[in-house]
Amino acid sequence: MFRFLVRRILGAAVILLIISALVFVLFYAAPRDPARIACGKVCTPETLELVRKNLAISDPLPVQYWEWLKGLFVGRDYSSFGHCNAPCLGYSFQSREPVLDTILDRFPTTISLSLGAAVVFLTFGVGTGMLAAVKQGKALDKIASSASLIASSMQIYVVGVFATYLLVDQLHLLDRASYTPFTDNPGKWFSGLLVPWLVLSLIFTANYTRMTRSQMVESLSQDYVRTARAKGLSSRTVFFRFAWRGAMGPIVTIFGLDLGVLLGGAIITESTFSLQGLGMLSVKAVQNNDLPMLLGVVLVAAGAIVVFNIIVDTVYALIDPRVRLA
Amino acid sequence: MSTPFLSVRDLKVHFSTEDGIVKAVDGLSFDLEKGKTLGIVGESGSGKSVTNMAILGLHDPRNTALDGEILLDDKELISATEKELERLRGNKMSMIFQDALASLSPYHTIGTQIGETYRKHTGCSKKEARTRAIEMLRRVGIPQPDVRVDDYPHQFSGGMRQRAMIAMALVCDPELLIADEPTTALDVTVQAQIMDLLKDLQQEFGTAIIFITHDLGVIADIADDVLVMYGGRCVERGTKKEVLRAPQHPYTLGLLGSMPSLDGPVDVPLSPIPGSPPSLLNPPSGCRFHPRCTFADKVAGNRCSGERPLLEVVDGRGAACHLTPEQKRELFSDYAAARTH
Amino acid sequence: MSFSRRNFLIATSVAAAGSTVLSACSSGDAGGSGGTPSAGATEYTGAKVTVGTAADSTGPAPEIPGAKKGGTIYGLAPDDFSHLDPQRIYYAYNSTVALLLHRCLTGYKIDASGKQKLVGDLATDTGKASDDNKTWTFTLKEGLKWEDGSELTVEDVRHGFERSWAPFITEGADYAQRALTGKGGDWRDAYEGPYKGKHLDSIVIDKAKRTITFKLAESKPDFNFTLAMHSYAAVPVKMDTKEKYDKKPVASGPYKIKAHTTDKSMVLIRNKHWDPKTDSIRNAYPDGFEFRFGIETLDGVDRLIASQGDDAYGVSIYKGVPAERIQKVLTDPELKKRTFNGLLTGTYFYWINTKRVTDLKVRQALIHAWPLQQIRQIYGGPSAGDFATSVLSPDIIGYEKTDVYNKLKKPQGDPAAAKKLLKEAGKLGQKIVYAFPNDPTYNKTKVVIENALKAAGFTPVIKPLESTAYYDQVQQIDNSYDVMWGGWSPDWPTAYTMIQPLLDGDAIGNGKNNVSQTDVDWINEGIKKNAVIPDQQEAGKAWAALDKRIMEEVAPMIPETYQRRFYVYGNKVGGAQFDPNFSATLLYKTFVKA
Repeated sequence: MFRFLVRRILGAAVILLIISALVFVLFYAAPRDPARIACGKVCTPETLELVRKNLAISDPLPVQYWEWLKGLFVGRDYSSFGHCNAPCLGYSFQSREPVLDTILDRFPTTISLSLGAAVVFLTFGVGTGMLAAVKQGKALDKIASSASLIASSMQIYVVGVFATYLLVDQLHLLDRASYTPFTDNPGKWFSGLLVPWLVLSLIFTANYTRMTRSQMVESLSQDYVRTARAKGLSSRTVFFRFAWRGAMGPIVTIFGLDLGVLLGGAIITESTFSLQGLGMLSVKAVQNNDLPMLLGVVLVAAGAIVVFNIIVDTVYALIDPRVRLA
Repeated sequence: MSTPFLSVRDLKVHFSTEDGIVKAVDGLSFDLEKGKTLGIVGESGSGKSVTNMAILGLHDPRNTALDGEILLDDKELISATEKELERLRGNKMSMIFQDALASLSPYHTIGTQIGETYRKHTGCSKKEARTRAIEMLRRVGIPQPDVRVDDYPHQFSGGMRQRAMIAMALVCDPELLIADEPTTALDVTVQAQIMDLLKDLQQEFGTAIIFITHDLGVIADIADDVLVMYGGRCVERGTKKEVLRAPQHPYTLGLLGSMPSLDGPVDVPLSPIPGSPPSLLNPPSGCRFHPRCTFADKVAGNRCSGERPLLEVVDGRGAACHLTPEQKRELFSDYAAARTH
Repeated sequence: MSFSRRNFLIATSVAAAGSTVLSACSSGDAGGSGGTPSAGATEYTGAKVTVGTAADSTGPAPEIPGAKKGGTIYGLAPDDFSHLDPQRIYYAYNSTVALLLHRCLTGYKIDASGKQKLVGDLATDTGKASDDNKTWTFTLKEGLKWEDGSELTVEDVRHGFERSWAPFITEGADYAQRALTGKGGDWRDAYEGPYKGKHLDSIVIDKAKRTITFKLAESKPDFNFTLAMHSYAAVPVKMDTKEKYDKKPVASGPYKIKAHTTDKSMVLIRNKHWDPKTDSIRNAYPDGFEFRFGIETLDGVDRLIASQGDDAYGVSIYKGVPAERIQKVLTDPELKKRTFNGLLTGTYFYWINTKRVTDLKVRQALIHAWPLQQIRQIYGGPSAGDFATSVLSPDIIGYEKTDVYNKLKKPQGDPAAAKKLLKEAGKLGQKIVYAFPNDPTYNKTKVVIENALKAAGFTPVIKPLESTAYYDQVQQIDNSYDVMWGGWSPDWPTAYTMIQPLLDGDAIGNGKNNVSQTDVDWINEGIKKNAVIPDQQEAGKAWAALDKRIMEEVAPMIPETYQRRFYVYGNKVGGAQFDPNFSATLLYKTFVKA
């Protein structure tokens, strides 16, 4: 287990390193110049050079990358921003705030959005999937299956706007989407995120319903499930302790990956509801040619995915003793 | 005559599928006494496994129709509720499946799987169940049972898994044990060990065993009586000696012919029965075996394809075939002679 | 007046904030309700700009009928302001808040109909020019104070200019720096900035008389317009925190910053030391403003439409009603009352690369062929804007509507006329490479453009370019594009600010804006000559003539539209009107309705 973790974390570090280098290269491969942002409308070469110096992008690409990497571990000094403590992700070209601070400021929004939605879609998705599996071929199964098919073809930006219009503006049932830190006011945190949770969940619920149903159907046809029945165990025990246990593995895997991706920023949901999470941050970083912010967000997003991969593998091993961590 | 311990009367198991009704078992009857072993032989799809799933009530109620009578110790099982069946399964009657690797849950330890059956039916504590599991593992010959009890199935060898399976089936001292090809996946040495184990356990507890196999060699080893199934029906039954020595049905004869004989000449080629098992969705008319039967043309008036041969059982012996006893004597001995050349 | 956001934002602004459907130019009381005069009320065809007198410059600003003091106005926007340090402000969006915080020597006094006068803001009037418009002198008003109560002096005004040389200031305008040094693009070499104790020789102050005199290296009759840019706002010498000033500038306007959480919110409260008697421009009725950032355009508009809670006091600072909602907003009478609209400053057009398309007749054929109507239909129809017919835009002083190529009569394009010209030139079937930012709107317009070009006998080649780097690519002089989408907003409403950067031979170069690479002697000379005509109305006539002649004889670009934006505001907001300079909500005229 320990060796597994060490190995995977080292692997993750290498992946993140490669990703950051890729972002660096790709960013500059596009014919755009981040210095132009901070250079006036009539931008002279002299001013442009000044901007490059201010933004610390006047060096050749490998040197820039090295400086950036170094900053992560030992901190960095900027001529225009001052000292930046390790781990230093640099300063945003756009807001001129430390990238790390901005990301730490936005991460709770994304975490709240993702985890809250995850609770909803896991509960409903797995629940209806199980019901559908039990009622295989019956009306309930058919309703659940077609409902999930319809739901999965919906677009968040359509459903989101409609849900806000109906539930918030017209019926005044729920609060308009907003983010209040949990520590400030748990009630507002909850009511402000409820609509985004439900909308984001809609699409995921559908996936999880279908996945749970098919996994359960498959699992229920397994020999060991039959054995469990032959032993005289009750259908409930057989269903949850045996069939569900078998179906869990793939669901946990997909869930882990979904959560990893969501934690990297649910871009469409965040923009539909004007929630300032990592997703919006990354969109704006791209729009603004904001390399340090982009690097920071990509790193966090990739990190979330990599970490959840490790978690998934670990959990999978806990679920299925046949899997060994090595 | 007292009622037999297990009595199956005119059992019908019909599945409804999208294509129509599949008559997987179509009127089967047999009896089994305590301490005896009934071997059921047949190709895959002959209905032998379906029969036993029906006895345990493990068929899928959504698409299966049962008819007839199954009496276990005077208890009617077809009309029994799921709760009643749950109390019987693993307790009074239990089952050993063919593929122990697939049939044991990969997610639970051997000990848990054996113990939970015991707990379910005795209501004992986890600790007692564990002790019982270790005891059972010891009894089926697992070395270091107190250590291996915490292993997962994938950590066991194939033979050990099958032993564990048997331990699980026997944990509540069942009176009826159904063994569905329990040795098929095992190599010959292990197979022999398992068979010995079953025989020992039967002697000790007087368990009634239904042994399902398509291997007549195994039948020769373990069974008292034999029931040959074809196309969802019993085509021949009798004692082991009667059926194996003097088969009365061309299908049984064919099965014997397709079996490599351990004591016969080594260079004799196997002669599998030509043709393929019948479709149960649309079974052949008359005798279901007639399309594959070498002797169908020996019976006059197309009776084989037109008329269902009845199974007349006298003293537990009978075969469902239109051939006359004389024809059989003649034709069957020729067949056996041809085979040894 | 400033460009919206440079580069990508203008590229996507049509899609994001463009408006659609119906005839925009609604009449009557579209703006406010209950007798509140409101801008955008009448047909808005560009701001009429004049130069005001000293009396016009004397505060306080005329009362808005029905307005009263108090309350908070909430400003919604997708993004935070990128700069608050006035010297670093160029983008129009930043100027919307700068109007509340910062004051310049001059400014625009805007009436309820959107007409505007250039007046003195910190200065008593719009300045005295002498020495062939090379010397400009301004006198400060009395009673000007900073937010801490200290006096705003001519030294502070001068400091605002001198700070532009600081190495950390790269974003602002550089017109004044060029004029003060006479060194063109090398103006930074002439002065090291104020932080080592030295001052610019070309700015002379007299503390006792409260005068500041600019000695320019060249004649600049419209220099007082230049000074209205926030890049030239005053900064207190004693409270200049250099780089950090951008986060917390010191206010001279009616409001000061109470709190600011980057990218989330900003709270402005009254600056007690601002004296309305010194200010003829700003009304400042609300006790404060609260800006909420990170509200995407569509979400923001929906919130204003719903007007629940604080949103009833809300305005969209900068973003107009997007195409998805314009129908709803204009067809609902109650909602329509809560809108105003205006034309964006500047012109949208297509540059023709004159180095590649060398034949005048081919360029004229392109103009004839261009399907303006179909393009505008994609933007949203007549309410999305008016057809453009020349380089200058309607809010430029002296603008005259011309229609050299009959585009107003045949806005759908005239393939026959185009084909005829192409035949005459012997260029039938000429390949035309059309470049545009790869975003949804322009991917739609490219289709109608492609069809029109084919119909006119061209062989179009379609070249979508990465939208975030669009301008960087077309601004390469060796690019391989024949026709390029583009847009330009002037920095103040005189024609020089459009014609010079777009068409002066000196403005050709990588990263420069003469993308058509027009280098014609009479244009270059005309620019020099017109630039020094002292009277702006006179100059305007000369520019308009030059504008027309350029279209006739050079045809370096295909004018497309003057775009229109609609704004909606909360149902308890009064006085909301269009800011003709920054294409936004004019915040300082808003008030909270009883």
